[in-house]
Amino acid sequence: MYRLTRIESLAAAALLALAFDSCAPVRINSYVVRGLDFQQYRTYAWGPSDAFSTGDPRLDNNRIVSERIAKSVDQQLASRGFEKRESGVADVLIHMHVRLDQRIESDAIDREYARCEVSDCRPYVYDAGTLLLDFIDTRTNQLAWRGWAEGGFDGVIDNQDWMEARIDDAVAKILARLPRDTSRNR
Amino acid sequence: MARRLLCAAGITLAVFGLTACATMRVSSYVERGLDFSQYRTFDWGPADALPVGDPRLDQDRFFQDQVEGAIEKQMAARGFERSAASDVPDLRMHYHASINRRVEVREEDHSGNCRDDDACPARVIEYEAGTLVVDIVDARTNRLVWRGWAQDSVDGVLGNRDRLRRKIDEGVTRMFVGLPRAR
Repeated sequence: MYRLTRIESLAAAALLALAFDSCAPVRINSYVVRGLDFQQYRTYAWGPSDAFSTGDPRLDNNRIVSERIAKSVDQQLASRGFEKRESGVADVLIHMHVRLDQRIESDAIDREYARCEVSDCRPYVYDAGTLLLDFIDTRTNQLAWRGWAEGGFDGVIDNQDWMEARIDDAVAKILARLPRDTSRNR
Repeated sequence: MARRLLCAAGITLAVFGLTACATMRVSSYVERGLDFSQYRTFDWGPADALPVGDPRLDQDRFFQDQVEGAIEKQMAARGFERSAASDVPDLRMHYHASINRRVEVREEDHSGNCRDDDACPARVIEYEAGTLVVDIVDARTNRLVWRGWAQDSVDGVLGNRDRLRRKIDEGVTRMFVGLPRAR
């Protein structure tokens, strides 16, 4: 009985390890300017698209991807009581940045989940992506809030359905950290 | 036992990573909800919009001819026609080739003290990856409606015309599988 449980837990760990390879966990971070009353912002507009390279030719100037991100952000913000402005002055301008880099993990997974012997541990390489959203106060032209998601993208970019699902998931998790009390907007 | 099983999982991961890098990665994105049957004709974008992006491929007429020929063949196979020079096409084509340094994990050869997989050390090696991106833009709205790409190692390919031609053909043929047909 003990043995079965042990094997089950091993299987779970192996699945987890596999999940790490193709879709490393998304890490979410954000920061807000201290003392800022975020409730003052009600309207937003999209800032000009950024001219920086994403670090990957598949994503550079890829409007299909940037429009998907914008659509996902629009949906999330609408559900949080923000109003999008196509023209005129909005309270905040939103900028998005996408970055993709290859990263090398020496043996982090093996060490964490398998405690492998040194000679057994293998390094591995994966594509890591960062999606960053900036909220700029249009009155002061200062950054009011920044949120970003980092995670593994191996195999995800080469599949449009997976990429879109990953974008929606990352955007929802980033914007869930907005310092906003939606009950006050109803 | 537990250790060995989990180490095996770790090695499987490494092997997955290896195959993913060693083979050509091909894919395409299409604008969702777009009716592709509204398009029939295409032409190449303005010449200045076609930077090759790497000095070894710049001004390389052989490379350009192979890429453009392969793309035109795939477009024709899907029912698109090259528009007459005097006509405005429905679609404009652009392509961009770039070469970046990437890394992958490779196992050392099974030799010497390394008898089985467990004992063979793995190395992180750097290689040059070439990426060919093909963009199709709606000529009327100037919106990107489709992007296809192929990425593979170009080690030993750039200086070998035969291998370069075969890589281009394979990459273009596979990426265009995802392009909807013309009306």
